[in-house]
Amino acid sequence: MQWGYISKALGGLFISISLTMIFPMVAGLWYSDSSVGPLIKSMVVGLVGGFLLFALGCKSGIVTLGHREGMAIVTLGWIGAGLIGALPFYFSHTFDTFIDSFFESVSGFTTTGASVMTDIESTAPGILFWRSFTHWLGGMGIIVFSLAILPFLGAGGMQLYKAEVPSPVPDKLRPRIRDTALLLWKVYLLFTVLETVLLMFGGMNLYDALCHTFGTLATGGFSTKNASIAHFQSAYVDGVIIFFMFVAGVNFSLHYQLLTGKPRKMLQNSEFRFFCFLVMLFVVITTFAVYKDSYGSIPEALRYSMFQVISIITTTGYATADYETWPFLPQAILFMCMFIGACAGSTGGGMKCMRIMLLLKHGYRELFRLIHPHGVSQVKLHGQQVPQDIVSSVLGFFVFYILLYCTGVLLVAATRVDVLTSIASVAATIGNIGPGLGTVGPAENYSHMPWMAKWILAFCMILGRLEIFTVIILFIPEFWRK
Amino acid sequence: MKRVVIVGAGEVGYYIARRLAAENKEVIVIDRNPDVLNRCENLLDVQPILGSGNDPQILLESGVKEADLFLAVTNSDETNIISSFFAGVLAPEVVKLARIRSEMYHGISREILSRELKIDMIINPEEEAVKTVTRLLSVPDAEDVGEFAGGRIKLLGLRIDQCSPFVGRTIADIRAASGGLPFIIGVIFRDECTIIPTGGDIIRENDLIYVACERGILREVLGFFRCAPRDAKNIMIIGGGRFGLKLAHTLESKNYGVKIVEKDLRRCEELSAVLNRAVVINGDGTDWDLLLEENIHHMDVVISATGDDGTNILCSLLAKKTGEARTITRVNRFAYIPMMSAVGLGNIVSSRLAAINTILQFVRRGRVVSAIALKGENVEVLEVVAEAKSGIIGKPLKDIKFPRGVLILCVFREDQTHIPTGDTVIEPGDRVVILTTRQGISAVERELMVKMKR
Repeated sequence: MQWGYISKALGGLFISISLTMIFPMVAGLWYSDSSVGPLIKSMVVGLVGGFLLFALGCKSGIVTLGHREGMAIVTLGWIGAGLIGALPFYFSHTFDTFIDSFFESVSGFTTTGASVMTDIESTAPGILFWRSFTHWLGGMGIIVFSLAILPFLGAGGMQLYKAEVPSPVPDKLRPRIRDTALLLWKVYLLFTVLETVLLMFGGMNLYDALCHTFGTLATGGFSTKNASIAHFQSAYVDGVIIFFMFVAGVNFSLHYQLLTGKPRKMLQNSEFRFFCFLVMLFVVITTFAVYKDSYGSIPEALRYSMFQVISIITTTGYATADYETWPFLPQAILFMCMFIGACAGSTGGGMKCMRIMLLLKHGYRELFRLIHPHGVSQVKLHGQQVPQDIVSSVLGFFVFYILLYCTGVLLVAATRVDVLTSIASVAATIGNIGPGLGTVGPAENYSHMPWMAKWILAFCMILGRLEIFTVIILFIPEFWRK
Repeated sequence: MKRVVIVGAGEVGYYIARRLAAENKEVIVIDRNPDVLNRCENLLDVQPILGSGNDPQILLESGVKEADLFLAVTNSDETNIISSFFAGVLAPEVVKLARIRSEMYHGISREILSRELKIDMIINPEEEAVKTVTRLLSVPDAEDVGEFAGGRIKLLGLRIDQCSPFVGRTIADIRAASGGLPFIIGVIFRDECTIIPTGGDIIRENDLIYVACERGILREVLGFFRCAPRDAKNIMIIGGGRFGLKLAHTLESKNYGVKIVEKDLRRCEELSAVLNRAVVINGDGTDWDLLLEENIHHMDVVISATGDDGTNILCSLLAKKTGEARTITRVNRFAYIPMMSAVGLGNIVSSRLAAINTILQFVRRGRVVSAIALKGENVEVLEVVAEAKSGIIGKPLKDIKFPRGVLILCVFREDQTHIPTGDTVIEPGDRVVILTTRQGISAVERELMVKMKR
């Protein structure tokens, strides 16, 4: 382990995160609220910590960064970001306990959107802005963010990138990792501007439009209103947010291809097609299931079910309807969506459509081999054979995901939380969704959970965001062996 | 120059990709073998593309149209030729370089290739390695020799042994003792460290120092460093493969007495048919009695040039044991190169390293007149033309703030060469030889305003 370099990289990362607190400060000054003092305090603490780490490691020269260092930097970086992000909540006494602040901050960075905030609208706008802003930073990835702005990470960038964006089939848009990171951020920024403007046309002020854009494009789910998106009571706002949630759930490399005039790359991408197919299927079933019981008309039912299905499958977690009052079938569909998640390379979480697709193809291949014991068939993607080690890593991922999910459920249940809530809360945090079922449904929040459960769920969020392996590997003794 | 497409991620491709990626170029590597590509992807900031360089589709995907430079450096001559051809069709503007080894493609076919396929440079690693050997032979007892300004400036790598009078002395002492002999000590290699020396640095035993001087005073400088100048006359080459034959051919035409030892009788017959004055001997290069019989102890230089690294090392060690002969060892595997001086075999030649150096020189073409890499790849010596806007113009050198690890070795102006002192002033149009560490290259580009880009 090259601790010098790790410390230097973490220092750089923390400094840049702390500096971004300038934005919520602007919001705080604009509304002249009580958040500016705590934000300055948090920024100073973050900067001092960052500079200390940076100074500790600044002597370390240019080294080749191994994948172990990469994983350590990414996991520690995300935990550290969660801690720094918790400071404004803690210093402004938004929450009484530190774990509540940490939970909210991790929920922000990992774009989960699970909240422990009971009365959102009475909280200072500066703090709420920071809360939504952590979504935006975490959505494209804080490591990708720092790759784009910190030149010294260049050499080992690929290791960091792969540890944070562990797509089964990685794609690099440009030869240099820094250029790739910059491009992704440019696309992200473009969508941010677009959605903000469109939301403002719908009557939102700049502040609300920005905060909800952060929540949408990062597939986060924090709102500045107690009633979430339902507060606006506008079909236009619903429509804009549905569209951008969907956009955020698609691989950003495909968006780049589309924007550079190669729409066929997107339309012919099998993961994108699979994702569209799933969304359509679930929307249709949900619409018909809820239309009789909950809404009188098809358009009404379509509006709410479309919003909810896309919100959950892209792992955003915004709500315009309390789906717990819906019939059981759509609830079950939404629960499944929590596991499926969005496309690889998007800002969404979950297991990712790509993996589900490869699993299904692999499953079909097994059946094929039972029918034709001497048959030869390959798992193919875009007409090309998928190497066996990728298929087995997907299988491994699935096994670990389910295993850790079960462990999480048992642990949460051990803190005296009821079974449905335990099952749903772990699914909603490990998949970075936010609202679950039971007592953590879209109409409630996580504030009543026992403090132990909050730690467990916060850990689940980081696990889910970094797609299991990067985090779990740090707990394997073999990892630390020299 | 920004974007470079490299076909072939073998040792040559990998090392060039590594060098260029470290200098912030956009590098795309194409190879058919997923394992070597994985190595590239994991260790370098480059874009790997799985596929054959012969496939125009793959070439398009690599963005060859936006590339400035196209390097075809696979093991297969035919792949290199065909991919260069397709690259030329797809992107007529791109500068192409192909690595071509086979004798078949030399002479007239080489002309056809460069004319019809517009391959800007054809590089033959064996030929480059032969050049390395002749350079080494031109300076007795140097471990490494580089040349600038058409050979007028020599850069000598000298090993300091324990009986050298300079052990424990500072650079400033040595300068004072030299009595105004114009030379400059550019860099010291000590174990794994690279030191760009200042006056206060102390020379230690077993250091490898690089000294730049003019060709005319080579003997004085060598004499000053107590390296007995001794001319090489008789040379024994062990191994008569492609490289051995080329080497023997070149050396016999330079009037050296050449003996070449080859195991395979059939090959020996071929060799004797091609070679005129050289003596061809059929036998094993590790056969002690045979070597004694052929007067190995009277040889001035023994060059181990078989295709097998182990055999080469063994032969060289045997030759070292028997006599005074200087040995030059051919090494193929890069991993062995840093270990060679540890076993006392300082003079090495590697066709791959030679090819890499030539390719990099070519890559830096433009304002950089020539470039060589020292000791693998940590230090580079660049020969550049000082531009009028450059930060090194018009002030005495002692007043210029140089980036770390950057040193001016030599200045020449209108056929006059100067080894600079602190008072030297550089004028626009001067050619300047700059020594820099790898990290310093971008600083040289930036601060000294010597543009390396095309």
